[in-house]
Amino acid sequence: MVKTTTITFLLAGFFALSANVHAQQPAKPSEHDHAQHDHSDQKTTKQDAHDHSGHDMSQDQHDHSGHDMSKDSGAAVDHSKMDHSDHAHDHDVDHSTHGVQATEHGDMQHHHHMDHDHMMDHEGTMIMGQNLDQLPSSCRSISEEVEITVRAGRKYSAKFPGTAFAFDQQEWHVKPCAKVTFHFINEDNIRHQFMMHGLPKYLYKYGMFHLEVTGPKTVSGTIIVPGGDDTYLVHCDISHHMEKGMKAQLVVGKGGADIPGIPGLTHHNINDTYEAENLPKLSDKADQSKMVRQITQFTTDNLQTYGMMLAGLLLGLFCVPLIRKIPLRRNKENKS
Amino acid sequence: MPTHIFFALLTSFLMSAAMTAQASLKLPSTVKVDRAALTFEEPCDPIISPAWREAQEIEGVKIEASPGCSPDNPAWIAAAVKGTNNISMDTLMKTGLSPDAIIKTDDLDGDGDPDRIIIKLEIMELNGKSPDFPGLVPTFDIAPGIQPGAWVFAPKTSGMSTENFESVRANPLLRLPSPVIRVEVGDIVQIVLENTHYFPHSIHLHGVDHPFSHGEHGGQDGVPQTSEVELMPGERRIYQFQARQPGTMFYHCHVQTHTHLAMGLAGMIVIEENRPNNWLQTLNIGAGHVRHPSVAVKEQYDQEYDLHYHAMDKELGEIIQKYNDPRLIARDMNQRYDITDASEDYYTLNGLSYPYTLRESLIIVEQDQKIKLRMLNSGGELIAVHTHGHHATITHYDGVEHNPIAQIMRDVFDMAPAQRLDLKLETIDDGKHSYGEGDWLIHDHREKGITTNGMAEGGSMSSIVYKSYLNGNGLPKVSHFGIDLSEYFTKEYYQRRYPIWQDLDDWASLGSPGEREGLMPATQTSLIYALIGLLAGLLIYLIFAKREQIKLSTVAAVSRLRSPKGGNQ
Repeated sequence: MVKTTTITFLLAGFFALSANVHAQQPAKPSEHDHAQHDHSDQKTTKQDAHDHSGHDMSQDQHDHSGHDMSKDSGAAVDHSKMDHSDHAHDHDVDHSTHGVQATEHGDMQHHHHMDHDHMMDHEGTMIMGQNLDQLPSSCRSISEEVEITVRAGRKYSAKFPGTAFAFDQQEWHVKPCAKVTFHFINEDNIRHQFMMHGLPKYLYKYGMFHLEVTGPKTVSGTIIVPGGDDTYLVHCDISHHMEKGMKAQLVVGKGGADIPGIPGLTHHNINDTYEAENLPKLSDKADQSKMVRQITQFTTDNLQTYGMMLAGLLLGLFCVPLIRKIPLRRNKENKS
Repeated sequence: MPTHIFFALLTSFLMSAAMTAQASLKLPSTVKVDRAALTFEEPCDPIISPAWREAQEIEGVKIEASPGCSPDNPAWIAAAVKGTNNISMDTLMKTGLSPDAIIKTDDLDGDGDPDRIIIKLEIMELNGKSPDFPGLVPTFDIAPGIQPGAWVFAPKTSGMSTENFESVRANPLLRLPSPVIRVEVGDIVQIVLENTHYFPHSIHLHGVDHPFSHGEHGGQDGVPQTSEVELMPGERRIYQFQARQPGTMFYHCHVQTHTHLAMGLAGMIVIEENRPNNWLQTLNIGAGHVRHPSVAVKEQYDQEYDLHYHAMDKELGEIIQKYNDPRLIARDMNQRYDITDASEDYYTLNGLSYPYTLRESLIIVEQDQKIKLRMLNSGGELIAVHTHGHHATITHYDGVEHNPIAQIMRDVFDMAPAQRLDLKLETIDDGKHSYGEGDWLIHDHREKGITTNGMAEGGSMSSIVYKSYLNGNGLPKVSHFGIDLSEYFTKEYYQRRYPIWQDLDDWASLGSPGEREGLMPATQTSLIYALIGLLAGLLIYLIFAKREQIKLSTVAAVSRLRSPKGGNQ
C-alpha cells in the first residue's frame, strides 16, 4: 500500500514535469504560485462560495453559509478547518500534483467548459464529477490524500488472454474519506475513459466520476471517496471496452462485494465455453515426414519382397523332384 | 324390474354417445389475441423532440424543415455544416459529438467555404453480448424487438456509449447505417479512423478519387492484401484525399470484407461539385433527408435524400451475441462462418426496417417538385427498388453522370452490390412522372426485401408521401382507409406470435384456432363403435342367459295375443 502510493507519487511528479506541457506552464514563477493560480481559476469557473471556502485560507463565515451542507454546520465547520490543515500539507508536500491539476484545468478553461461538474477541452479531454473539497456526509475529515496513476491501453490486455483493452492495474485501495487524485494516462491512439459509478449522488451527478481522453495523453481529476467500506466499479464505457477487459475496481477501506468480470481478479457472470480445436501442430509435421520416409523406404521394402521371392524359389526348387515324379509315374504307366 | 333399468341405461348411453359425436363435428374455436397483451411502442420515438422537425437556423446554419416522425437532431446538422471546431459549446453539448469530430479550417481557394476537412470516425459495436447480464449492449433496434449484432463507423463521440448508465440503449450517434459523408471536389479531406473496436479494420474509399498511397500516411486503399496492414485496435490511421470528380460513392471496411461489410461497416460518401460558399453537411447521421443540401443540388432540386439499402445475415450477427472472447468471435467469423452457405435475413433502408423506416426514411414530397435520391446498395445481392406511382429518371450510375439525352425513366431500379444510382424524382402529375398525390410505397421488389427475417411487412420498405397524406405526427395518414399500423410497432408481431389477420373482421375468421378439447374425431368414432359393440355383446349375453324367461314371456305374449283372438272366434 505505502509502496504503491509512493510509486504513484513519483510517477505523478514525473508526469507533471514531462507529459503535461501546456501553454500556461512556462509562465509559472514557482510551484507555490502555481498552486494559488489553480485556486483562483477554480474560484472564477465555479462561481460557488463553498468551493472557494474549501480552498481559500482567508475565507469568512458567511461565505461558508453558501455551502450545500451548511445545515449540519458542525460537520461543515469541521470540514473547513480540516481542509485548511490538509491544504497546508498539500502545499508543503505536493507541489507537483498541483502543477498537473493547474495545467489541466487551465487548458480546460482556455477552450470550453460547461459547469463545474463538466469540463472539456477542444480535443474532447473531459473531467466530469470532480470533487476537490466537498466532504461526503459520512466523513468528518479527509483521511488521506492519495494520487493514483492509471494507464490505459491495448498493450495492458496482453497479459489477460481473451481481452482487447485493459488498465495497467485492476484494483486500487484507498482509505475511507480519502481524497484521491487520478492521473489517467491513455497510451492508445483512440479514446479511453476512466469512469467510476456508484458514488453518492448528492455530490456526484448521476453518482459518476469520469475522465476521458484521446491518447496518447493524460488527464487528471480528484474525488473524495465516501466514509463507508465499499468497492466501486471503474470502467471505460466505449462500446465493448469494459466487456473486452477495460474494467477495474476501487476498494475503499475493507471494500464491499467484488465486481464481476475484472481481468485476473473475478469471473464474468456469463462465461464463454471453450473447446479444443483441430489446429495444425508441429507433430503433424512429424507425421508428414514419416509418410515421406515410408516412400523413401520403398527400396528396403523391395528387399523384403526379394527375400520372400528367394524363399519361394528355394521352396519351388525343393518341390521340383516331387512334381517331376508325377509325370514320370504317368509315363511309366503309359509305358506299361 | 332390473331388465327395465338396464334398457333405460342402454338408451341413455347411446344418446350421450350420439351427443358427443355431434359436438365433435365443431372445430376448435378461434382464440383472439387481446391487443392489450401486445407491447405497443409509440409510432414516433418519444425521445425525439417534435421541435426538431421545423425549419430553423442554428449557428447561422439554415436547416430545412423535415416533417417526418424522427428528423435528424438540428444540432447535428449545425455541427456537421460548421464543423465541431466552429460552434458554441452549447450546440456541441446538444450533439454528443467529440469537439474534434469534424474539424473545418482554411479557405484555400478563397471561395467562402473551408477546404480542409478532418472527419474522425470510431468503430462501435451494437447489440453485442454482455458478459455481465443476459442481454445485449448497447442495443439498437432495427425494427421492434429486432437487434442484430452489428458494427458501424460512428462519428467520434464524447462520453458514454449508452443513453445513460441505467439504459442499455445505444447513444443516438451510435447507429446503423454508418454516416453519410459529404465533401466538396477539391477539399483536402482527412478521414481519421480511430479503431475503438476489438478487431482490426480499415477504410476503402470505393469510387472516391483517392491516391493509392499517400506520402505521409502510407498506403490508403484500405486493402490488407495490397496497400496496407490491418489497423489494429487502439490505433489510428489517416486516409487523405482531394477528389477531382463529384459523385455518390461508397466507403467500407476492407478487412475480411465478406463479414465486416455485412456487419454494417459501410456507408455512403458523396463528393459534391465545388461551388462558392458551399458549406456542406459533412455528416448525415442516419442518412435520409439532407436538411442542408449543397449549392449544386439546390441549383437543380427542391429536396435531397440519401437512401442506403443494406442487408444483414442473422447468423453472422449472432456470432457477437454468442461469445464475449474476441478470439472466439474471430474464430467463428473468420474460419467457421461460410458466406457461400449463408443467406440474408434483415433488409434495411438507412439502417432500419419497416415500420421504423416510416419514422425516418419517408420521402416527403409536394406536387411539382424535383427530388434528388442518392441510392446505395451495400447488401450482398442485387436489389430491385420499385417506386409505386412514379417513374424516376436515372441521372448517374456509380457517381458518373449518364449522357443526359440517353437518360432513361424506370419504376424498378436494379442495383448490384456496391452500386450507386442517382435518381431524379419529379412529382409532376402527368400519369408518367407521377400518378398524383398519395402515400406511395417504395420497396425492394425481391419479395424477401419486404420481410424481416421472412416476416412481412418488414424489410427496407418505405413510402413516397405527399404532404396532404401526412399526419401531424409525421406518419402517413392511413386511418381514413380504416388502416391501423399499430400492430407493426409491437415486438410480438416480428416474433411471429400475432395472427396478423385476426382483426380484419369482427369474429376473427382468420384468427388463431385454439387447441382441440377432448378427443380427435377418429378416436371418438372408434370409441363409439366399441361402446356399441360392448352393448350389443351384453344384449346377446342377456338374451342367452334369460332365454327361458324370454321363451316363457314370448309364449305368454303369443298366447295373450291369441286368447283375445280366440275370444273373438
